[in-house]
Amino acid sequence: MNALTIKALGFAALLIIATIWVVMSMDIDLTDRVNAIAMGGAIAIAVITSSVVVKYVNQMKTDTATGELVDENWDGIGERTNELPSGWAYAFLGTFFWSMWYGLIGYPVDQYSQIGEYNEEVIAHKATYEKKYENASPEVLTGMGKSLYFVQCAPCHGNTGDGLSGKAHDLTTRMSKAQVLDVIKNGSNQLGYPMGMMPAGMASGQDAEDIATYIAGGLKGEAPASYAACTSCHGADSKGNSGMSPNLVGYDETLLTHTLQNGKKGIIGGMPSFKTMITPIQEKALTAYIQSIAQ
Amino acid sequence: MFFHWLEKNPFYFAVLISIVISFAGLLEIVPNFAQAARPLTTETPKTVLELAGKNLYVKDNCIACHSQMIRPFKSETDRYGKYSLSGEYAYDRPFLWGSKRTGPDLHRVGNYRTTDWHENHMLNPPAIVPGSIMPAYKHMFTNLADIETAYAEAVTVKNAFFTPYGPEFKKTRAAWEAHRPKVLADAKKIADDMKSEDVKKAVANGQVPEIVAMIAYLNSLK
Repeated sequence: MNALTIKALGFAALLIIATIWVVMSMDIDLTDRVNAIAMGGAIAIAVITSSVVVKYVNQMKTDTATGELVDENWDGIGERTNELPSGWAYAFLGTFFWSMWYGLIGYPVDQYSQIGEYNEEVIAHKATYEKKYENASPEVLTGMGKSLYFVQCAPCHGNTGDGLSGKAHDLTTRMSKAQVLDVIKNGSNQLGYPMGMMPAGMASGQDAEDIATYIAGGLKGEAPASYAACTSCHGADSKGNSGMSPNLVGYDETLLTHTLQNGKKGIIGGMPSFKTMITPIQEKALTAYIQSIAQ
Repeated sequence: MFFHWLEKNPFYFAVLISIVISFAGLLEIVPNFAQAARPLTTETPKTVLELAGKNLYVKDNCIACHSQMIRPFKSETDRYGKYSLSGEYAYDRPFLWGSKRTGPDLHRVGNYRTTDWHENHMLNPPAIVPGSIMPAYKHMFTNLADIETAYAEAVTVKNAFFTPYGPEFKKTRAAWEAHRPKVLADAKKIADDMKSEDVKKAVANGQVPEIVAMIAYLNSLK
């Protein structure tokens, strides 16, 4: 062991101690596997760097050139006819074979496409997603619905679902009086329910007022006599005749599905169709969440 | 050997290197470009009102914060809709892809936002999207959009790049006067969905406030 080796080992030890000191002073948790691996890596780098430097510096002291000098020289700088170091040669051959494999078998130039990879990813995701949430519990659905709501719905209906003081439909209640009056006056045929179009002017004057107050109030108490005009289509319990027409009491899955699929335009403004953006399971999730925020 | 000659002639060496290197580029770029740069068959050029909106998009530098390019990643298509295809940009001059998303991507904003949403949002973005740092664009409700320049642009791209605008797009004042009512009719359709009485009044008087052109453009991004 010569003086240089001792110096190098000392330097490596110094590096390691410095690293450990920095790690300790930064309060890094070394029981965490990633931190421990990083720490081991830092020590390895210090040791390898020092020993490689020692090896080549020692070699330079005694080494002499071998091999024939070639004829050409450039400004007095010549070249010897040595073989390529075997490590380089194997690495070069390896790269060559690997690139052949990559271009012809692994990711053939004419067969790979970004869109194709995307399609595969989406199909795979859909399959696992649909299986995972096939029989999801109401809590899971509500949680999923909540995050979906914040991405797709909150920009218009607001973070609390209140419709940003009249700028969009208020999801915390079923309908406001003005909305009911508007639908009674103009009819509605936008949601694609099997019952079809609701004609305009089913009621008018005081009758319409009574109906609107009753529905906006959450259908509590005695129904006004004129409300009979509504129950013939919306059902005796006003819940939409098992999916034949819109539910007037609350948000059920049928109502959400029809609205998301078709969009809607009413007295407040327009809602676009979310046909391509929301899957059936997500519709179920949104229903669960919206039911949870509705009073 | 042959390379001795090359080593003594750096100019020809450089030329040969360029040829060899550009070969890969030719192979990768040219076939794909020939296929993908054509407009999609479903793609129609923007109307004059939408073009005026596009010019506002450029003027107010929306591109600094919004991109128009949905990449084929599930996280993006979940939020913004179908990934973008190059043929969809064939009539865009200039391209408004953008490279910075301080705000969301807008390439398909017409699919999930409506006229009245844009109206509320442009007046006061933080009121609609809590925490939004987008500035208000109130001036768009009073400034008038330059539909005349937009028409001139349509005629120019029709003549220069064969963009398929109809035969009625001609380089005469009479042709513009004949087309003007169509632009105003488009503007009225947008204004009908808006709440601002001033905007409705301006459109009824034959003027097009910037906000109307802007919303027409945003709604056309599908």
